[in-house]
Amino acid sequence: MLDKNTLSDILASALSTGAEFAEVFVENVATNTINLINGKAERILSGINFGVGIRIINADKTVYLYTNKKDRDTLCKIAKNGALALKGSTPFSLITFNESIPQKNICPVVYIPGSISKNEIVGKLKEGSCAAFDYDKSITQTSMGYLDTVQDVLIANSYGLYTKDKRVRTRVSIQAVASDENEKQTGYFGPGASKGTEFLKTLDIKSLAQEAARSAVTMLKAGDCPSGRMPVIIDNGFGGVIFHEACGHGLEASAVSKNASVFAGKIGEKIASEKVTAYDDGTIENAWGSSNIDDEGHPTERNLLIENGILKTYMTDFFNGRKIGIEATGSSRRQSYKYLPVSRMTNTYIGAGTDKREDIIASTDYGLYAKYMGGGSVNPATGDFNFAVNEAYIIRKGKICEPVRGATLIGKGADILKDIDMVSEDLKLAEGMCGASSGNIPVCVGQPMIRVKEITVGGKS
Amino acid sequence: MDIQNFKKLLFEKAKAYGFEKCEIYFSSGSSSEISVYKGETEQYKEEESGGFSFRGIYKGKMGYFFSEKTDEDILDTVVKNAAENALLSESEEKEDIFSGSEEYPRVNTYDEALKNVDVEEKTALALDAEKKAFSCDKRVEMVESSLVESGENSIYLANSTGLELKNKTNYVVAYISVTAKENESVKQKYDYYVGRDIEELKRKNIGEVAAKKAVASLNAKSVKSGYYPIIIENKTFADILSTFEGNFSGEAVNKGFSLLKGKLSQTIASPLLTLTDDPLLEGGMSSCPFDDEGVSCRKKNIIEEGVLKTFLHNIKTAATAGTQTTGNGFKANFKSTVGVSSTNLYIQKGKTSFEELLKKAEGGILITDVTGLHSGANTVSGDFSLAAEGFLIEKGSLSSSVEQITIAGNFYELLKNVEAIGNDLSFNLSGVGSPSLFFPSIAVSGQ
Repeated sequence: MLDKNTLSDILASALSTGAEFAEVFVENVATNTINLINGKAERILSGINFGVGIRIINADKTVYLYTNKKDRDTLCKIAKNGALALKGSTPFSLITFNESIPQKNICPVVYIPGSISKNEIVGKLKEGSCAAFDYDKSITQTSMGYLDTVQDVLIANSYGLYTKDKRVRTRVSIQAVASDENEKQTGYFGPGASKGTEFLKTLDIKSLAQEAARSAVTMLKAGDCPSGRMPVIIDNGFGGVIFHEACGHGLEASAVSKNASVFAGKIGEKIASEKVTAYDDGTIENAWGSSNIDDEGHPTERNLLIENGILKTYMTDFFNGRKIGIEATGSSRRQSYKYLPVSRMTNTYIGAGTDKREDIIASTDYGLYAKYMGGGSVNPATGDFNFAVNEAYIIRKGKICEPVRGATLIGKGADILKDIDMVSEDLKLAEGMCGASSGNIPVCVGQPMIRVKEITVGGKS
Repeated sequence: MDIQNFKKLLFEKAKAYGFEKCEIYFSSGSSSEISVYKGETEQYKEEESGGFSFRGIYKGKMGYFFSEKTDEDILDTVVKNAAENALLSESEEKEDIFSGSEEYPRVNTYDEALKNVDVEEKTALALDAEKKAFSCDKRVEMVESSLVESGENSIYLANSTGLELKNKTNYVVAYISVTAKENESVKQKYDYYVGRDIEELKRKNIGEVAAKKAVASLNAKSVKSGYYPIIIENKTFADILSTFEGNFSGEAVNKGFSLLKGKLSQTIASPLLTLTDDPLLEGGMSSCPFDDEGVSCRKKNIIEEGVLKTFLHNIKTAATAGTQTTGNGFKANFKSTVGVSSTNLYIQKGKTSFEELLKKAEGGILITDVTGLHSGANTVSGDFSLAAEGFLIEKGSLSSSVEQITIAGNFYELLKNVEAIGNDLSFNLSGVGSPSLFFPSIAVSGQ
């Protein structure tokens, strides 16, 4: 990492044309990935990422520079050249760093990656692969993955901030493929945490692999999903991707500040059914999307986004927060030093409600039950979203009936939030990767089981 | 430290550690990007970065390690970790370090004139695109982003058999995203240019094109669910092809992940359809003289008039399949292990003009956009159900705009069911190309 004198010199060079603000982000990442195809270890990769990102802001203009170089002279030269793209009038004052490193680690780690042998990791993944193959003879392929990263960041800015964080993350992916003569269907889980290798030790990989296999086999035998508008019940856990896509992205200050969100200018207004209370919480202990500080050095927070349907705040970073007059909420994130940080989600979820799961299903005459959701996407400017359902069933007269496959849900975020008419008590989070302008970042999505009055379901029949 | 010196030290270290053969793959690049907003520069980005990947054969197995740090003190870590990774591998397929092809084709991947394009010129281009978008129609509400980026990348591949290869590429990308608004209807559309020719970039007039797309799609409505004649527009089908192209990889076939396994020489598509991978394509953004294993590249048809002719292979997957590498051993980026991927992959253009396609699709829908390809497509089974937008086709021309629908089907069935192929081949951002294609019937879900 870089010493304080070097950081101070880089910042001074970045401010040499009178800009208001400058920041240095230094990052070192050690990573390991292992993939098992059909139970055999292949594609074993490890390596080191290192780089420095320099951000300079004056009024509405931003300059962003990055490199893998780490010597003082090169970095100062890069900063000085970059500063030429801006002309400010802020007089330069000497930077004194005020060291503020969070005292309490919200993601404590027991075993740092590397403290158990890779053979042991491969052994654990093999248990998963075997469990999937043993589940049913129609399971023809498995793919098991393991990833660990240790990311050290150092952030210093011209306001005197000097802070550090160590983010340790471990994730496993479990995929089972079921086949017959003409078809292949897959079941997938991707559990992860801001933990070290202890995450793997406590993971019940056999159960997850069996469940992935069960899902694949079920979908292999399923008929095509019907098309049209109907009530949809979305189960808890990864089902929360619906809130993430349909609403979460539109509550990011980067979209709001350009008026490129359907939720811009709506704080204090009712944007959702009163059954909906939603949070973005970067402080959940050891959660996949948690960290001690965000990627501009602000401590993460638990942000109440929507309370009983009323919009309370946006997820806000320093730059966009300045534009819309909202304090930063610890939401500024980036994939790596190669990206400008912007407001992003951390662990985002709809809070627990009071309905019972059984009642939600029993009170639905006809509709779709989405047991496992796949991914999705949204255009925040129009609110148009789409996402895939990995395992779905038809509901008839209050009962879960036959499985159907190939369902996609589409709609407008603003509509769907208002149409949530039941929310159960069983909140659960699930892990995913979210891709947007500042890259791919780890996030949790979550919700209890919910029912939406009506969504367009796209299927083949 | 310079590359030659670093390589020498690394190879010595590897040999001493017990590596039989080894390779270093250096990648370095630089780029700068300007984006404008409301007539002013909003962001300026500049970068210079890269790193290397080491791989070598240790006790008969291949091990990998990559690093963005290139200090001498990293050498021990590289060699030790690569050896550890090698020992872990249980792959029965034989991966080897390649000693070189007899000759390498010449292909243009670098344009000297592009080097001279400076920040001022890029700023002017981005501002011009924004201005043209606004002046196109008063319903243009916002240009969220108008940017121009240019850059270059170099690779240097050297191995202990003495092979040494270099290549340099450059590019310019322009992108604009335009929002149009009328009453309650809001539409956002984009257009882009990717290539090496600033004059061509100007001619493409992406600001006006994106603005026209956004305005034309205002006041869109859903349609009744049912089966419709469908034209999928060129770049949109290219995006769909990108999603499923992995099934043509020898790796997916060998491992049993592709339904095309065992179908070589069989008819898998309409006789109208020829699918080509051409690394030597003039002006192609994925053009290259050699792949990431150092094998010389060549043009080949994957599907020829409907018949599956070959899969794409690297050295390892070809050995497993009992065939020769097709020169498609590529890494996703310098850090990755060598996999299989296409270069400039495209469906060859047909004879049907766009007007004739419209006539064939009377009463149907032109699909201009699909979203959700990363989630709504099952790359293994070929099934997809995608959110889509487009236009109704009435009396041989485009009428009102359509939104909030999905199209659903199966990629392999699409290949068979295509009934006419347009003459408007166009490439998407990831270098995959397609003409517009006509399908007599696709399931549409709407109201």
